[in-house]
Amino acid sequence: MDEATQIRLTVNGRGHTLAVGPRSADVAPSDTLAHTLRHVMGLTGTKVSCDRGACGMCTVLLDGRAVLSCSLLTVECDGSSVTTVEGLADPETGGLHPLQQAFVDHTAFQCGFCTPGILMSTKALLDENPEPTVGEVQEALAGNHCRCITHYHVLEAVQDAAGRMREAALEPGPTVSESSSNAPERDVATGTR
Amino acid sequence: MAAGYRHIGKATERADARDIVTGRTRYLSDLEVPRMLYGRVLRSPHAHARILSIDTSAARALPGVEAVLTHADAPDWRVGTPRVVRVLDSTVRFAGDSVALVAATTEAAAERALELIEVEYEPLPAVLTMDEALAPGAPEIFPEAPGNVVSAGTPWFGPECLTGVRMGDVERGFAEADAVAEGVCGYENIPNPLPAEPPGVIAHWEEPNKATLWVSSQAAYQDKVVLFFAFGRQVDVRTIGGPCGGSFGSKLMSVQLALQATALSRAAGRPVRLVMSKEEHMAAFVLRIGSRIKAKVGMKRDGTVTAVAGDWLVDTGYYSMTTQAQVAVGCGEAQLVVRSPNWDLRSTIVCTNRTASGIVRGFGGQELKCSILPVVSRVMAELDIDPFDFFKKNYVKPGDGYFWRDGQWYTYRGIDYTTAMDAGAAAFGWKDRWRGWLQPSAVHGTVRTGVGVGVHGNVDIGESVSEAWVRLDPHGAAVIYSAASEHGTGQPSNLIKMVAEVLQLPLDRVTMTPADSAITPFEFGPVGSRGTWAMGGASIAAAEDARRKLLERAAPTLGRDPGDLDTCDGLVFPVDSPENAIRWNAVIGREGSVMGEGRFDPDFTLANCMMTFVEVAVDSDTGKVDLRRVVNATDAGTIIDPPGLENQLNGSLGSAGIDSALFEETVYDPATGRVLNANMIDYKWRTFAELPDMKNVVLETPVDSHRFRAIGVGEVATAPGPSAVLMAVSNALGMWMDEYPVTPERVLAALGKVPARGRGAGGTAAAATDSDDLAAGADR
Amino acid sequence: MRSFRHVRATTVAEACALLAEPGTRARANAGGSDLLGALKDGIYPEPPDLLVDLKTIPGLDAIEADEAGLRVGALARLADIARSEPIRAHWPIFSQAAQAVASPQIRNVATLGGNLCQEVRCWYFRYPAGLGGSIDCLRKGGPRCPAVKGDTRYHAIFEGRGCFAVCPSDTAVALAALDAIVVLEGPGGARRELPVQDVYTPLGTVLEPGELVTAVRVPPPAEEARSAFLKFTVREPIDFAVVSVAASITLRDGVCTDARLVLGAVGPRPYRALEAEARLIGGPIDERAAVEAAEVALAGAKPLRGNAYKVPLARSIVMRAILAALEG
Ligand SMILES: Cc1cc2nc3c(=O)[nH]c(=O)nc-3n(C[C@@H](O)[C@@H](O)[C@H](O)COP(=O)(O)OP(=O)(O)OC[C@H]3O[C@@H](n4cnc5c(N)ncnc54)[C@H](O)[C@@H]3O)c2cc1C
Ligand code: SF4
Ligand code: FES
Ligand code: FES
Repeated sequence: MDEATQIRLTVNGRGHTLAVGPRSADVAPSDTLAHTLRHVMGLTGTKVSCDRGACGMCTVLLDGRAVLSCSLLTVECDGSSVTTVEGLADPETGGLHPLQQAFVDHTAFQCGFCTPGILMSTKALLDENPEPTVGEVQEALAGNHCRCITHYHVLEAVQDAAGRMREAALEPGPTVSESSSNAPERDVATGTR
Repeated sequence: MAAGYRHIGKATERADARDIVTGRTRYLSDLEVPRMLYGRVLRSPHAHARILSIDTSAARALPGVEAVLTHADAPDWRVGTPRVVRVLDSTVRFAGDSVALVAATTEAAAERALELIEVEYEPLPAVLTMDEALAPGAPEIFPEAPGNVVSAGTPWFGPECLTGVRMGDVERGFAEADAVAEGVCGYENIPNPLPAEPPGVIAHWEEPNKATLWVSSQAAYQDKVVLFFAFGRQVDVRTIGGPCGGSFGSKLMSVQLALQATALSRAAGRPVRLVMSKEEHMAAFVLRIGSRIKAKVGMKRDGTVTAVAGDWLVDTGYYSMTTQAQVAVGCGEAQLVVRSPNWDLRSTIVCTNRTASGIVRGFGGQELKCSILPVVSRVMAELDIDPFDFFKKNYVKPGDGYFWRDGQWYTYRGIDYTTAMDAGAAAFGWKDRWRGWLQPSAVHGTVRTGVGVGVHGNVDIGESVSEAWVRLDPHGAAVIYSAASEHGTGQPSNLIKMVAEVLQLPLDRVTMTPADSAITPFEFGPVGSRGTWAMGGASIAAAEDARRKLLERAAPTLGRDPGDLDTCDGLVFPVDSPENAIRWNAVIGREGSVMGEGRFDPDFTLANCMMTFVEVAVDSDTGKVDLRRVVNATDAGTIIDPPGLENQLNGSLGSAGIDSALFEETVYDPATGRVLNANMIDYKWRTFAELPDMKNVVLETPVDSHRFRAIGVGEVATAPGPSAVLMAVSNALGMWMDEYPVTPERVLAALGKVPARGRGAGGTAAAATDSDDLAAGADR
Repeated sequence: MRSFRHVRATTVAEACALLAEPGTRARANAGGSDLLGALKDGIYPEPPDLLVDLKTIPGLDAIEADEAGLRVGALARLADIARSEPIRAHWPIFSQAAQAVASPQIRNVATLGGNLCQEVRCWYFRYPAGLGGSIDCLRKGGPRCPAVKGDTRYHAIFEGRGCFAVCPSDTAVALAALDAIVVLEGPGGARRELPVQDVYTPLGTVLEPGELVTAVRVPPPAEEARSAFLKFTVREPIDFAVVSVAASITLRDGVCTDARLVLGAVGPRPYRALEAEARLIGGPIDERAAVEAAEVALAGAKPLRGNAYKVPLARSIVMRAILAALEG
């Protein structure tokens, strides 16, 4: 058995070593990963809403799996690799990830508070299943709350993104992180799903 | 889509889209102000109690604690209509009421300090329901509300603020009716709008009397105005708005939170951030108003309503800030939906020892209609009138009139929404699915399908004042000065589109200032559906004014009349010889700008309209109600931004909308008045796993609003759905369902599979009314 | 959350010893999806001062299947159980029950041991301290239960005694229908095995201080067994069950030779409807048999004032589960 004195985390590809202790730059044993990301590392893209595991807004990837950062102790993430919404875009060019671009193109958000969590859940899904059915996307997002009801636009955006990512994977050359910024014109009266 | 526009009507990228998807958007709880402290609130376990003593010494002694306030040392700033609620009081009035405030250098220290505060209470008898509150001899919550009835009318709407609808002669109307129904029905599950981001504020007090507040609401300037009065007109208030993580109206009610944060900042001499936890958001912030009506409706065979009479009881919780305003607007909206020459609708606002009610999308009208429509349904059923035909016939038409919120009579000059309703009915297949009252549209084994329809509209699209300025910069860019912050509707981006359209600039050449009351002119804010016409009107006027000034200044240089000139892409040119264009900087100079001013003044002569069709499937074995399909039908005049509009209409499900008929409710412990489901597991919300088929039918019939002939329809999306669900479930089951939400228990009770526990049971425990007297009267 | 010390255990023995140490108020943390919520809500009169991380014990997350049956370590994650090929093939209702829990994010961290040992969801028990202080009750060692006279729509209709909170675990229901055995290990190498439903008491679990669930053993399925797990929720998950039913039925030549009917979220432990099982055995299974068995299963229900609706609801879910098992 041991008591951690320092915590090593890789966040969005960058290594961090944090001391376990009482200062605000440290990790207290009771600190959640969400707290450490937001308040110690300044990565406020990860949102906290319910703080109880019930809304998915704090979703990040921990070693590739979608998890709730409000319900994990930072001390228990020692040695892990974390991806947050800030880590989705191309670190070199700042170009949007195809998933982000699809959300922009479909206006798959309203207030946007739930969007980082939804993006991260979706990222985990597409990493594992590049060609999900709509039902599979719904299932993967069942723990993500969106009060504004962007669900329909999100489902369209995810399908669109999955298609773009599959195409990009087939194409030789640089990966596609650009696309037209103007979404295809849509007819409001056609509805969704 | 309106032809010929460069931006309007196109699915353009929202101005903040990239910030949102990259996590760069900074909501209130993402902001840090130098030397900021963290505030927390100690809350009451009792629904009603006197505070005998508070010992804060241990809390004050805790390292990191910079300020502790109790009712003894809190400033006498007040909120409420009338102004009865203090920053902290010696009496607590609901389980969750504020008892003491703490500011500390860390959240953990503030939290710990709360645990160290010792409070001695003398519990007082509480009134948890309207029935208890109105019972003779009931304990009173405020001396200013004798008999627990809150004074009617709000000064904001003037001396004749609408408190009911009285006209004609209802007795004569009932005598002329072919059928009359009478009954009591309520919408009393007081759901929570529950925006994703919890309410919060950062306050910075500077002596002697300056308060700067970072707010999370869609109407930062309006916060300044409300706070000015709440501070007793003694404080110089500056409000700074930013991206708001959802509001649905509710965050405009962060006033007490703002006062508390300011009081802490004053005491500590440092800025204080006070953000509610989710459980506080759910049990100690604001909910929908509770609504119950005893109504009587008379109707002729052709669907003509001859008289409406009703006593509307409105449960405002422990205090009211805007309930009077909601009653006024609700009464106005009822007249849009039911056209009758004879009215006697009266309202009573009741206060109870529960969480306060505040602004929620639907603003009085949703609550009133959800309550009264089941009674109207009874008469329609009696006369075998198709509800779609009824709504179509009765919805306000050009030339009809209504009393609006200020008590004045207005004549409607908008469009006839019949076409939109017909389009919605066609998209839904209403005529094929409607089988008559209490008739399921299909039965497969234990699954019974039923359909329902509802309609709603609001005149708030033209309410209150908006002001905006548009500044033209020499390099061909424009800045909108407006206190419009983004809260999900996309309105700031829409204002940018409108201004860019007027000035013929690319979208990325138009930006908006922060919603800072020290920078922008007055803005009532994107409340209700006023963003498109009222706010749009001000921004358009400002852009037109700026354009006019620009052309006037260019005229001498170009040697032409201003009327012969036009501008596009930062150039000014004679219309007949565009090749002679000059750049804006040749007009404005390198040093300088052109400022246009715009203002919108209230206009209550246009209304929007939303009709919602729903299909439900009810499992008669389990009592589960599934929402299968939703069709929303409206006419927006001109669509400014198709995906943004569609998002708004899809929002009809959430934010205490359609789902408040299915599973949303605030559950109180009947004994203590504590909220039992103040968490996001027990408060049910719609998941991705369960989405009805959703279709939005939006027509574009140009309307006489502003130059783009558009009106807003966002806010009304939630309102027609809940009563439509109740209607659909009644039809599916073949028996009347009168209570929200239609839980499995209520369905099983209606089917006789469990003993009925009386009204109120099986849902919100605090609700208790008498359902048995809701019966259709005899033919006359 | 109150502050606490945090240690990482490396063996079961070490963890048990730490948890049993007199004078400390230690708690085991597995996935933390339940515990952290309970701590944030401040529901414990005596909050823990030490958390013992079990995830650092190697090998406790193994999933092993052979002719002798299935053995799942307490630290196996629900996502892995739901996905496990052998479990899906031979004990499908266990996989379905694991998949029915919460959300993908939670299943990615939640463990089997934590799912079995999670606290009840009774909304009086869970009332957050931040709203005027937590609510004392019988289960917390207090004098009475405030729920009985309150809103009991989600409470017990069977076997409540003093406390009427229901066992919220979905996996326990499926495991009970599979005759699963829970392996408990305690300080000083103590070890015992119990049928899963016997882990629960009306006021908690039988676990002694320092005792941990280390594994669950499931016997091999009978060759002709068919099964179903149905979970009724207010809305589609993410949601706890209002009623769930696991049914396992063995049919030989059209005749039922063995049956397990277990109801979840109706009592303090997974409730085995023994008489209904007996009613099924010996006859063919058709709609009539299912209806009758469901009738019998609920005959002894004792609803509270606020949850009588759970009786007909449970009855139809039992009936449907029996019929669904035939398809399964
Ligand atoms: C939003 C939400 C929805 C949920 N929905 C469901 C649902 O639908 N169905 C359902 O069944 N559950 C549900 N849960 C509960 C969920 O937390 C558990 O299902 C989960 O499996 C707990 O596992 P864990 O490893 O995270 O437990 P932890 O939180 O780590 O532990 C839970 C408790 O068990 C104790 N414990 C942990 N491991 C052991 C062990 N090996 N031996 C002895 N004691 C131990 C801990 O001390 C603690 O008291 C939900 C939870 C949330 C937050
Ligand atoms: S039902 Fe049990 S857990 Fe709930 S309040 Fe009563 S004793 Fe406590
Ligand atoms: S904030 Fe983590 S799940 Fe809600
Ligand atoms: S966009 Fe507002 S909560 Fe999802």
